[in-house]
Amino acid sequence: MIRQSWWKILAVVILVYTILAGMLIPLKPGIAEVTPRALQAGTEVELTVTGYNSYYSKAKNELRAWLKLKGDVVLKAARIEVLNDRTMKLHFILPQYLPSDSKDDACSLILDSPIDGAIVLPDGIALTQDSVNLLEGKKLWSVDKMDQLNAGPKLTFPYRSVLYESIRNQYFHVPLWFAMIFLFMFSVNFSVRYLRTYDPDADQRTLALNRAGFVFGLLGTVTGAIWAKYTWGAFWSWDVKQNMTAVALLIYSAYFILRGAFQDEEKKARLSAVYNIFAFAALIPLLFVIPRMTDSLHPGNGGNPAFGGEDLDNTMRMVFYPAGIGWTLLGFWVASVAYRVEKLQQRLLDA
Amino acid sequence: MNFFAQIGILLRKELVLELRMGYAISGILLYVLSTVFIVYAAFFQGVNSPMLWVTLFWIIMLFASVNAIVKSFVQENGARQLYYYGLLDPLAVIVSKMIYNISLLFFLSLLTWAAMAFIVGNKVEEFSAFLLALFLGSAGFSILFTFVAAISSKADNNSTLLAILSFPLVIPILMTLIKLSVVATGMLEDTGIGKDIGILVAIDLVLAGLTLVLYPFLWRD
Amino acid sequence: MIWNRLSLVCILTLLFQQMAFAQQASGDFLRSIGHIYVVVAVILIIFFGIVLFLIYLDRKLTKLENQIKENE
Repeated sequence: MIRQSWWKILAVVILVYTILAGMLIPLKPGIAEVTPRALQAGTEVELTVTGYNSYYSKAKNELRAWLKLKGDVVLKAARIEVLNDRTMKLHFILPQYLPSDSKDDACSLILDSPIDGAIVLPDGIALTQDSVNLLEGKKLWSVDKMDQLNAGPKLTFPYRSVLYESIRNQYFHVPLWFAMIFLFMFSVNFSVRYLRTYDPDADQRTLALNRAGFVFGLLGTVTGAIWAKYTWGAFWSWDVKQNMTAVALLIYSAYFILRGAFQDEEKKARLSAVYNIFAFAALIPLLFVIPRMTDSLHPGNGGNPAFGGEDLDNTMRMVFYPAGIGWTLLGFWVASVAYRVEKLQQRLLDA
Repeated sequence: MNFFAQIGILLRKELVLELRMGYAISGILLYVLSTVFIVYAAFFQGVNSPMLWVTLFWIIMLFASVNAIVKSFVQENGARQLYYYGLLDPLAVIVSKMIYNISLLFFLSLLTWAAMAFIVGNKVEEFSAFLLALFLGSAGFSILFTFVAAISSKADNNSTLLAILSFPLVIPILMTLIKLSVVATGMLEDTGIGKDIGILVAIDLVLAGLTLVLYPFLWRD
Repeated sequence: MIWNRLSLVCILTLLFQQMAFAQQASGDFLRSIGHIYVVVAVILIIFFGIVLFLIYLDRKLTKLENQIKENE
């Protein structure tokens, strides 16, 4: 019993790990909000910073903050006033001129604390000056240096201002697609086997794998729509990947309808095997070629390489790759149950 | 009788049958004309945007192709299938049908274009690019519909089944075609036109290859 | 059998009504605490989706078992 179902135990262990690690590891501290967002050169300003997952009061005396312009010129905060863990006020004395050759510029805000590590709000604050003086500006801004930044907590997921905690969906929504594609791939394999041997068992396996794959694809679409609502603003954004998966689901619905159109078991199995192979081949450009060539809201599309960069750091990989394996194993588990039902039905028909 | 001789004979048979049963081809022609006229009548303010023109063109083409191809297996009754089975190579049957349907659809698309240009107005500026799109499109449509018609002809209510089985599969071809044709109307300056042609050629070749591999399994009954 | 099915439908309807009501009551519930409830919703949907599929298979099995019993 244990020897036969070791992979089911593996699936459970991996999924428990995925859910625990995926939900318990905190997000990296980030900057949720800064007001005001527009500053005038030559004035003294007070920035109110709202943190996310931050512990400002724990590192009260070691906090540092800079405004950073292009070309690595920085201005250190003159005074930092911590109100609580999530809020603080930064006082900057802005020089008369900016090290910039236009009247408007944008700068980043960088915070550093031994507890939270270094946090960057890239190009979030607009700067304006009344008159341009590049040389003077460079001189005024080269007084401060930014050095010895802290690394911050190790075991965290990246903080993204649109995603926030929903970055964790990477371990639940994305692996459903892996599971679906693997299930469909195996079902094609069994379709080929059916056409070689005309063994009804291969047809039953194909059907069960397609059923499970369809369920996973459907769940992937629904969960994707919910995630999209809270990051892109609408359940359905006519994104190329959303459309393509909808088409994929239509193709496999057609597979089930095709099976219903035949009475004769042998004919049903043979024709649906042929259609299954044909449909999977048509699915490949749909899922892998066209999304990469079209602009998309999904990461890894429109010419970008899939995943990687700052969207998937090492901590995320540690959870994401096992999650892919775990959900795929669960998919095969569901498919094996569906297969046994199919098998039993067949035996009853034969008897 | 070798393979190519079989294809030649089958092609001649298709043509002779088509001409003899004149109502089938004239029915399709009338279908195209009346659909174009409906489009003209429905958009009484005129089809001004090239995007709309291209989309309407391909939708008319899509339905005309389905109607043109659905009969290619329906008219073959069981007895005649059995006769072929004893006499011919299955590949020759499907290849001849594909070649015939590609030329039929290409002819049909030229005709649709002419009808659209005459009734609605011509929006195409780059003729060679549009002709290439027409050829690749009719090749893709005919390969796909011929194969799916071969599957659905084995079932009872096959015209519904043909639409259900083939429309999801045709969407990637249709989307790429529309993109390519919009470029041909000169509305967009697309530098990635080679990529789209590449995708279409690749899809057509993959579908054709699969049809050749899989058709022998559909054949026997 | 029919009562089972009916009760399932009732429960699902109630659940959805509850959810719709909750959304009306606080429009931004799913956005609170850094969108964490989006993750919760996704996990719940996957869980219930797979469970519903298993229930479907289970009912099919019950039917088959009954048939086998009858045959014997």
